[in-house]
This record gives sequence, structure tokens and C-alpha cells, in this order.
Amino acid sequence: MDLVTMITTMGSGFGKTCAIFFLTLLFSLPLGMVIAFLRMSKSKIVSNVTRFVISVLRGTPLMLQLIAVTYGPFYLFDLPVSRNKLIPVVIAFAINYAAYFAEIYRSGIESMPVGQYEAADILGYKKIQTFFHIILPQVIKRIMPSITNEVVTLVKDTSMAFTVSYQELFTIGKQIANSETSFMPFVVAGVFYFVFNAIVDYAMGKVEKSMNYYK
Amino acid sequence: MKKIVALLLAVMMVFALCACGGGDNKDDSQKTLVVGIDPEYPPYSYIGSDGEYTGFDIEVAQAACDLLGWKMEVFPVNWDNKLAQLDGKECDCIWSGMTILDSMKEAGYVISDPYYDNTQVLLVKKDSPIQSSADLKGKTVAVQLGTSGESLLNGDLADLKATFGELVTCNSFVSAFTELGGGSVDAVFVDYPVAAAYAAKNEGFRIVNENLGAEQYGIAFRADDQELCDQIEAAVQQLVDNGTYQKIAEKYPDIVSNLIYLNK
Repeated sequence: MDLVTMITTMGSGFGKTCAIFFLTLLFSLPLGMVIAFLRMSKSKIVSNVTRFVISVLRGTPLMLQLIAVTYGPFYLFDLPVSRNKLIPVVIAFAINYAAYFAEIYRSGIESMPVGQYEAADILGYKKIQTFFHIILPQVIKRIMPSITNEVVTLVKDTSMAFTVSYQELFTIGKQIANSETSFMPFVVAGVFYFVFNAIVDYAMGKVEKSMNYYK
Repeated sequence: MKKIVALLLAVMMVFALCACGGGDNKDDSQKTLVVGIDPEYPPYSYIGSDGEYTGFDIEVAQAACDLLGWKMEVFPVNWDNKLAQLDGKECDCIWSGMTILDSMKEAGYVISDPYYDNTQVLLVKKDSPIQSSADLKGKTVAVQLGTSGESLLNGDLADLKATFGELVTCNSFVSAFTELGGGSVDAVFVDYPVAAAYAAKNEGFRIVNENLGAEQYGIAFRADDQELCDQIEAAVQQLVDNGTYQKIAEKYPDIVSNLIYLNK
């Protein structure tokens, strides 16, 4: 197989890699916020249950979660396995990443000094207003580097979708490697991921810079 | 910030569309057979030099479907999960150099008549002192995870395995062969056609002349699909009778001598 065919064949998988990446971010970023609030809930039960769920999601391999989400419904409830693998894959990724994002949000929110809440209260801000207008913008600024970290990891983690034979970049790379008994597809895959991450890095850097409005 | 969000959304939608594209324009009046294959198993099923799936099993399946007037769809499975994917109706059969195991029959799967006598061999470096399986005492041997070779070493050949210095389980042929080339293992326990194809393409390897395998390949169907199995078997028999099978087999010289239908 010549290099051009290899790159175009793997490129068809790259579209699917990107689909996992963007859809995961779209769902996990807001879901993480919901989980963070449940985790910080005043009710001991809610906060402890959430804490347990987070520890399961962070404490078991993503590969296992992918298999569980894809085949669990079939084995447990006899539901058909989804023919469009993107659905179970994105569900598994979104839930897993939401758990990590939730802890990042919590670290940001809890780092805000109590004085700001008191000052807002005196100025007549309602609780919701305080959060969205005063706390959240500062939190986002503080947690941006940690978020970037997770996003970069996500780019590489998309390769895990091969477990459920979703035909993304790495799955196809592996197939070509074994069909041709050659290591070249892995090199090509590495370049694909690196270039993708370089773009992500640049975009996240831009976002961080645009938040430096006090400097 | 808003612009960035809008841009991200736009990019995402484009990719989501890419991912959904293709397929879905099935003609409902025609039956479609979804054939589950291991896309990493030359020469039975693999990605050809044009980037499309090909191989002996795929060509025979295609010819059988043509004969039956069915459409054929290739579905690449993850070999470790193949039975779950068959159960989950992601594909209608597993037809891809699959070793018939007693455990599959016990679990209720319908298995076709065997069509291939598999030969397990050792691939070693040309200058290696290993001449037979007896020389493996204390050596490091590699095998691919989830292959018939691995199940053999854990079953019928467990005594042989006990003499190894170490058994390395690799997750692909490439890594097993690269370990061999790099000197970290002394021999690779592998199916003959795979070893032959690799030795032909790469300098410095030879196959130890000893057949260590005694299993056969067949096609697996779900427990309630005996009828489908019978239809496929009849179609394959017809291909044998009209010479198509022979013609396809001749394209794959490494496996032709072990095809059961041609040696009856």
C-alpha cells in the first residue's frame, strides 16, 4: 500500500475521531458542571452518592466503561446493540470525562474566597446572579490550564474506541498495520494525533490569552 | 469567545456529518448478509493495498451472496469481542479464519462444516538454532492474544508451553514479529499462512518445519440461525462444483493446499 492510500484510508477514520472528540466535549463540559453541583450539594446523601459515582468513573478503565455502555444494555436487558457505534462511544466518553471535569470545576469553585459571596450579598445580588456574574467567570479563568490538560488527553483517548470496533483513526491504523505487517500506519497515526493536538493547543492558548483581561 | 464557540460548533457538525455519511441506502427488498470479519487477518480478511477490505474469506462470502442474490456487507469486528458482536446482531455470521472451538458449540452457536485445516508453525530467525518444538526449552515464545495459537498453548499444547522460558502475549502480529526481529523473543507461534506471508516479504526469517496445530476453521452463526448456515453451506458447495471456489483459492497460494473442499 502506498503512503497516499494509507493516509486517505486513515483520513476516513480521522473524521470519526474528530466526531468523538467534539461531541464528547459538547456533552461532558455541561454535564461536568451538573455533577460538580451535585457533589457540592448540602445534602449529605446526594453529595456522597455523587462522590461514589465519580470514584467509580475515575477508578475503572475507560476501555471497560466503553464495553459496558456498548454491550451492557444487550446482556442486561436484551436491547439490540447500536449499529451506529458513535452513540455508545460518545455516551461512555462523555460520562467519563464529565467526572474529571466535575472535579476540576469543584476545585475552581471552592477556591473562590468567601468574601466575594458576602460582598455580592451586601450589594443585593441573588445567589444565581452571584454565581453566573461574579464567580463563574473567575472560575473559568482559573481552571483553563487544567481543562486544556484534559482536552489534550481526550484527543489521544479517542483511540480507545477500537475496543468496540468503532472505525476511527487508530482502529483503521491497526488494521492496516496487521494487513501489511508494517509499522508505518502507527507512525502516520502518531502524526495525525500530534497535528490535531498542536491545533488544540494553539486554540486553547488563544482562549486563555483572551481571558487575561486584567493583565 | 462567542466566535470561537460558533467555530467549534460548525467544525463539529461537519465532522458529525462525515461520521454519519455512507451506507443507509439499502434496498429493503433484497436480503443483506452482514459478514463479521477480523480485518487484521491476512490472507483470510484484511485491508488490501487499495484500502478496501479483501481476502479469501471475503471473496468466497461475496461469491456465495451473489449466488443467493443477497447483498453482502463487511463488518469489521474486534476479535476479542466477536461473539458479543454476533449475539448483539451487529453481524449475521463470523466468517474470517475462525477456529472452531468446542466451547463455541457448547455455548450453542451454529458452526458450519470446517473448510480449512489450520497449520500452526513456529517462525524463527534464519540463523536461529531452533529446529523443532523440542528446542523451545527455556526459550521466549510470542503468540497473538485471542488467536487459535494462544488457545492451543493453553489447551492441547499446555505441556509444550510448560517447557518455555517465557510466553509473551502480543496484541497484534506486527508486534509479535517485531519482537522476533528485534531479538526479544526467540520464536513466534503463529498460523502458517501468516508466517509464510511475512517470511516472503521480509528477509532473515524461516518457518520451522513442524505442524503443531490440529484445528479447523469454520463459520459461526447465532444459535437460532441453522437455516442461514445451511443456505450458506449449500451456496459454497455450489461454488466448489462450478469451479469459482478453485479460482478464488488460486489467488491465495499459501492456503490452497489446506482447503478441505478442494481436497475431498
